Amino acid sequence: MKNRSIALGLSMFLLTGAALADDDCDDPVSGWQPRENLRQQLEADGWEVYRIKVDDGCYEVEGRNQYGSRVEASFAPSNFELMELEREDEDDDDDERDDDERRNYQADGNRQQTMPSNGIVKGRPSVSVQ
Amino acid sequence: MRKYFVVFGLVMTMFFSATASAREVTFDTQLTNYRGDGAYLAIYLTDSNGVYQGTLWIAGRDSEYYKHLRGWARGSRMRRAEYDGLTGASITSGRTLTMTMNIDDSFIDNGYEIHVDTAVEDRRDNRSDVMVPLTSEGAGKPVAGRGYVKSFTYNF
Repeated sequence: MKNRSIALGLSMFLLTGAALADDDCDDPVSGWQPRENLRQQLEADGWEVYRIKVDDGCYEVEGRNQYGSRVEASFAPSNFELMELEREDEDDDDDERDDDERRNYQADGNRQQTMPSNGIVKGRPSVSVQ
Repeated sequence: MRKYFVVFGLVMTMFFSATASAREVTFDTQLTNYRGDGAYLAIYLTDSNGVYQGTLWIAGRDSEYYKHLRGWARGSRMRRAEYDGLTGASITSGRTLTMTMNIDDSFIDNGYEIHVDTAVEDRRDNRSDVMVPLTSEGAGKPVAGRGYVKSFTYNF
């Protein structure tokens, strides 16, 4: 009877562990794509990527999504399937103002609304990255 | 008839004085193939003594990191009015930032210098990665940076 309880407890423990490990990625390393591919894919979707690191077998990305929200997201390294997405809170007034600016930026189809006002640059600059 | 000449003269004077006050300048900043995240750049003007005069462009949208653009941060005191309307995405390794803008004529051939500060997360910050006078003579001549900038060129 005692042995049965121990076995039951042990299996419950293992099941719980398996459930908690759901967010982990278990892609074989041989099938991983380079993280630069993920960066390019996200940037093409309008993200700004700050860093990509490996965590629990997933690519963990810190950056801003296409809506200007600061996010931390996990992707499967082989097919870049989104495993987890957390939105991080901004923590001061400056960042809130930045958010407002970003919303304007998005609303204008990735063009800045604000005109430069420092007296050196006249009008809105034209900028591209190749 | 004479009245028409006077009006025409006035219009032409206004046109030329308006266009003479600013010049269109194109800046190309090519980055090296460094290992690391997207680079933050501050491109700004100083006088011949290195005293900050104004911002031309900030690449990188998160103002939390602007303090790493050290020369610019010190000169501009990171005041929002200094870079309003002059910010864009950070630049990844090996890419080229091209920007075209109208700059007040008084800053050209008058001893002013262009500086480019660069910073990459968890890597070294480069104050004045590029430093070059803004002159007609220097136009079209590529300058190598000493940090993440491989080449910097401006053209009128």
